[in-house]
Amino acid sequence: MEYVNPEGLRQDGRRPKELRQLGCELGVLAKAAGSATFEMGNTKVLAAVYGPHEASNRSAAASGATVHCDYAMAPFSTGERRKQGRTDRRSTEISAVIRNTLEQTIITELLPNSQIDIHVQVLQADGGTRCACINAALLALAEAGIPLRDMVAACAAGYLDETALLDLNYIEDSGGGPDISVALHPQFDRVVLLQMDNRLPLETFETVVELAIKGCKAVASYMRGQLLEHTRMLASARGFDKL
Amino acid sequence: MASTRCVCPGDRLGASADFVAGPGVYNHSQHLLAESLGFVQIVQPGVAASDQRPSISVSRRIASSALPKPGDKVTCKVLKTNPRLALVNIVCVGPKVLEEAFSGVIRRTDVRATEIDKVEIYSSFRPGDIVIAEVVSLGDARSYYLSTAKNDLGVVYAKSVAGEVMVATGWETMICPVTKSVEKRKVAKK
Repeated sequence: MEYVNPEGLRQDGRRPKELRQLGCELGVLAKAAGSATFEMGNTKVLAAVYGPHEASNRSAAASGATVHCDYAMAPFSTGERRKQGRTDRRSTEISAVIRNTLEQTIITELLPNSQIDIHVQVLQADGGTRCACINAALLALAEAGIPLRDMVAACAAGYLDETALLDLNYIEDSGGGPDISVALHPQFDRVVLLQMDNRLPLETFETVVELAIKGCKAVASYMRGQLLEHTRMLASARGFDKL
Repeated sequence: MASTRCVCPGDRLGASADFVAGPGVYNHSQHLLAESLGFVQIVQPGVAASDQRPSISVSRRIASSALPKPGDKVTCKVLKTNPRLALVNIVCVGPKVLEEAFSGVIRRTDVRATEIDKVEIYSSFRPGDIVIAEVVSLGDARSYYLSTAKNDLGVVYAKSVAGEVMVATGWETMICPVTKSVEKRKVAKK
């Protein structure tokens, strides 16, 4: 299969170093402390944050808040309707990855003996769900007012047809090439997550990771803009801006 | 002095030499960074203050972090008692109402400051009483440790056996206005 045509365009018409269309909506669930939907092209995820509330296991949370994360794919998220067990290995792994990334981002020391629950649900899957989930969860956490060290933005990159490709969709993801997911603290330039499927040569690895990091920065600046706009909108709705 | 700059977590607000970090701001190697989404507020210190740096803070849109910490005055409701301790639910921290109650314990030795070995839990608290207490420590694996060993701490609202709201008649008794029966409590001095 041809992933990059002779004109240098990908199957969905993007250039190799182009992100998909991003979209987000904040405060979509009234009962959650914070919630957000995040879209990367046809991938759409919903994140909800509850807490901080009293930890169910207080001895584990004595020095700082524990983060619970629950990742699930909706049965209607893929073309073919999925029958799902609650505990499939893929979901467990992605939950752990998201939790790990967010634990490094939340200033847990400020919230001892408490617990933060993060639920992410994939509404529509088209590749890059774990990155979209991290982004959605970050937006929900920021909206909930939970103390964060920095923003965190995640983006994937791959290498197909001897070209580094940013933000793979499902077809490119299942193309058998390497797929690297990166999450970044943009202010500190610190990589907090780096995962790779399949192998690739070291020189190419560097360029692909560089590309993913650039993608993360683009995603972060988009999310930052959306968060600020949302806050200003809320402030003006409540008349805070005329102080 | 009000400023309406809107910031995101991780945004740099200034150097720690120029400002004192207030709520919503943290210090990372000489830089002050925002830790939550909100508006920057800069407050100039009073003329007499020892530290002349203005304080900088980020107003949280949602005050989600009302967690009991040692030294806080909390309002709680007594759930059950046994000869050693009273189990309570913490419902408020200072003036802030908690979204979800935290569990706390008032041990027999923490009920009052004097004659602590003669304290009887049953003549200090009954289930259903509203008590003002102070957080002693984050406690054990299950609950916060609380204390009422000060004059202004103790029962502020209690109902008698007849179900009437009682009136305090001293620092250890309350009287039911209907049946005139006297019940023992560790009463908070107003």
